[in-house]
Amino acid sequence: MKQEAKLILKNLIKSGADDVAIQGQASTASQIKYSNSKINATKNWELDLINIFVAKDNCLVSTTLRDLSEDSAKKTALKLMKFVKAAPKNESYRGIAKGPFKYPDIKQMYDPEIENLGEGAIKIVENALNQAEQLDAKRAAGVFESFFSKSFVLTSNNVDVEQKETGVYFSVRGFASKNASGHMVAVSRLLNKFDYLDAVKKAVQIAKDSLNPKPVESGKYDILFDHLPFANLLDYFGNAMSVFTVEAGLSCLEGKIGKNVANEKFDLSDNGTLTNGFNSTKFDEEGVPTKNTKIIDKGVLKTYLHNTSSAIRYDTTTTANAGIVSPSAHNLVLKAGNSSKEQMLSSLKKGIYITNIWYTRFQNYHTGDFSTIPRDGAFLVEDGKIVKPVKDIRITDNLINIMKSVSRLGKKRKQIFGWEVETPVITPMAIVNDVNVTKSEK
Amino acid sequence: MEKDLADFAVNYAQKLGASYAEARLESSKSNSFLLKNGNLDSSGFSDISGLGIRLICNKGLGFVSTNKLEKTKIKSLIKIAIKSAKSSEHREEVNLAEDNVNKKEYKVKQKIKLANVDPSEKIQLLLDAEKAIKATGIKTPGRYFTLSDHTTTEYLVNSEGTQVLATVPKVAFMYFLTIKEGNQSVQRYWQYGNAGGFEFVKSWNISELLVNEVKACYNNLKNGRKLKKEKLDVIAAPQVVGIMVHESVGHPYEADRILGREGAQAGESFVSQDMIGQKIGSDVVTVVDDPTVENSYGFYLYDNEGVKAKRKYLMKNGKINDFLHNRQTAALMGIKSNGSSRSVDYDKESIVRMSNTFMLPSKKKEEELIEDIKRGVYIKNFMEWNIDDKRVNQKYVGAEAYLIENGQLGMPVKSPIMEVSTFDLYKAVDAVANNTEFHAGNCGKGEPMQAIPVWFGGPSIRLRGLWIK
Repeated sequence: MKQEAKLILKNLIKSGADDVAIQGQASTASQIKYSNSKINATKNWELDLINIFVAKDNCLVSTTLRDLSEDSAKKTALKLMKFVKAAPKNESYRGIAKGPFKYPDIKQMYDPEIENLGEGAIKIVENALNQAEQLDAKRAAGVFESFFSKSFVLTSNNVDVEQKETGVYFSVRGFASKNASGHMVAVSRLLNKFDYLDAVKKAVQIAKDSLNPKPVESGKYDILFDHLPFANLLDYFGNAMSVFTVEAGLSCLEGKIGKNVANEKFDLSDNGTLTNGFNSTKFDEEGVPTKNTKIIDKGVLKTYLHNTSSAIRYDTTTTANAGIVSPSAHNLVLKAGNSSKEQMLSSLKKGIYITNIWYTRFQNYHTGDFSTIPRDGAFLVEDGKIVKPVKDIRITDNLINIMKSVSRLGKKRKQIFGWEVETPVITPMAIVNDVNVTKSEK
Repeated sequence: MEKDLADFAVNYAQKLGASYAEARLESSKSNSFLLKNGNLDSSGFSDISGLGIRLICNKGLGFVSTNKLEKTKIKSLIKIAIKSAKSSEHREEVNLAEDNVNKKEYKVKQKIKLANVDPSEKIQLLLDAEKAIKATGIKTPGRYFTLSDHTTTEYLVNSEGTQVLATVPKVAFMYFLTIKEGNQSVQRYWQYGNAGGFEFVKSWNISELLVNEVKACYNNLKNGRKLKKEKLDVIAAPQVVGIMVHESVGHPYEADRILGREGAQAGESFVSQDMIGQKIGSDVVTVVDDPTVENSYGFYLYDNEGVKAKRKYLMKNGKINDFLHNRQTAALMGIKSNGSSRSVDYDKESIVRMSNTFMLPSKKKEEELIEDIKRGVYIKNFMEWNIDDKRVNQKYVGAEAYLIENGQLGMPVKSPIMEVSTFDLYKAVDAVANNTEFHAGNCGKGEPMQAIPVWFGGPSIRLRGLWIK
């Protein structure tokens, strides 16, 4: 595939392109989907693709190519140049990175045991289902996925780099009744660091604890967010850090560089080089070596996520987060605090312990006004003790307000990724004070 | 399109022991343009072909896909699918409801063929809209638009003899606006979509609709007031009705959710199998899902299992009437599929989906609904919304909204919030108007996520006595 990509690069440069970045990926992936404690389907995917970005005279065009024949490559190069002629100049474009670069050696990105997992995948799901049954779950639902991929980036600016990766992802939702459930995920690049049975244990325990949930009054509560829901909020916060979302009006962090956007306990980084990080990568889409970038330092916003072009416009250096069109985070990492879960729970006078959220939507991305719905077990806490499971509540608040109101962070972190959390987030649990809780009213 | 590869896949899977096999060969050409604050940040095209194969072996379901359209590759993948489909004692037994063998070809016609429209013409529409917004003089710092078209040809073949060849072009436009006044801002997002040619893009009058949107948002921002919490009558206009019926009728009536198959993803449902016939709304509420609406964004005539599409009455005169089914959920409930199996791409398993979900109109005019309100709120459209994963507790926050006093529309209202349970919502509807509109969206479900084109809509409706915050 790289040979075809080199040919395309050569053709495009010959046709007069100023900048070309080609990203290729050959991947195999499998998924086992299960629900009602039964395996519903096994799926296997094979995909080879090449993404091509071309700039000529500040006119930008991109395409995805899956037919990698020589004929297709030639036709694509011609069509790209035709599109370039139709496009108006993009006044904000400043080019792609100039290589060559030296790349970091990232630990724990590839495991041959995952590449050759085969029927081991079924055994993992069977073990999980057996464990759920032993723990008295009425039923369990979820997926197990594994992938192996080889990827590369070639550019007209002396970048030629490649890597291979593996990963496993497991999601489990345990049910103790129709209205009592718990959810947890496990992700890893290496099989021997993949603690999916721990995820089953946690999901089933939450489900069992949340039997017979009761309504609760709306109002202000201190909320203890478990790893899963806090990662979900941090994923939205991470999206707001991309310079693309800032400029598109989709960010509550516009104009907030150098300002407080979170509590002073809050140190957040984007680390593309993280050991066993689910989205760690040696290079970004334009071939810049990834790094560990402090985004929020003691509650103060330090930078947006940039590619080379946006960094030039903002008079800074790239954070190696290309997306050539839209920069995005690799792995968001929140610094741990020093509290145990028990200490956090016992510190709540009038609070709710929330184990999952979903369907987060914004009334105004620019101000950060949003609401989200707790899903799975949620528990009323009074004077440091869990009183009862609760249901039918909604958090209606403001994202910056939430992050500024973080009062305590846990000492144990987890890596969260999944259906609701699209960027891997490594986070502790968090207590957020005075969160507005609402509910349906008749 | 190399249809013989799909035929080969089905035959080969049967030869290796599959009791059922289905292959979907897809070829899709698309163009997309992204204009952000006047800059064309992205302009592109793609030309994608691939094959997805679904099979049942020893009652187990397997799915494989590839974009390498070669017999040797297809053979090796089918071997993997057969092996993995039959290798667990924890496996669900999969049966498909019987259905007709269908051999059909259909195409959606394009008055102005997408392939004949130069990229520069498409880009110009976005640039014109940009210019028109600037000409209003209203401070609109965030202007983010996308325009795209996709033409997909799908060939579906299964081991029962069904062969369906369909070509459906689709066009879509999305805008996201940020309007400011002083230190306040308001935002609006919306989407348009049709099956058909470039004539639909022209019919949307993009510049005009964006100018109207900017002006309405500005009016709300400058002159609107936030109401104190009170019980009010509500006129929900078609956009709001559309999202309501999509979220709290369409989704909970998906049979795979009812049966728990989406338990760890999009969730389950408050509806159970024995609730057919149960009264849940007032007599005036009838909600259908209908993929056969011509030129709709959720259009198809045969679903991704080759089952003939038809109108389904999900809620009829306030009663739960029917669910959305594929052949697997239909078999589990002892009925026939109603043609609701869809897949967003060749490489995704087809699952139970909505198509075009809408409330049916009456003969009343919207004005008649309004004039019978002493004090209420008219909610034309919305920004924030969400619903719990059993589809009971939902929230809609109005964007453009007006106070109603003594049957007349009055001052703009800022962000009126409806936070209401499904059980109270549909019982509160006492009148339905005749002004049906359809709106486009991309509905999310499945893992990997399949954001699938749908329409949702209906006429304006009147709801009595809801808490508005």
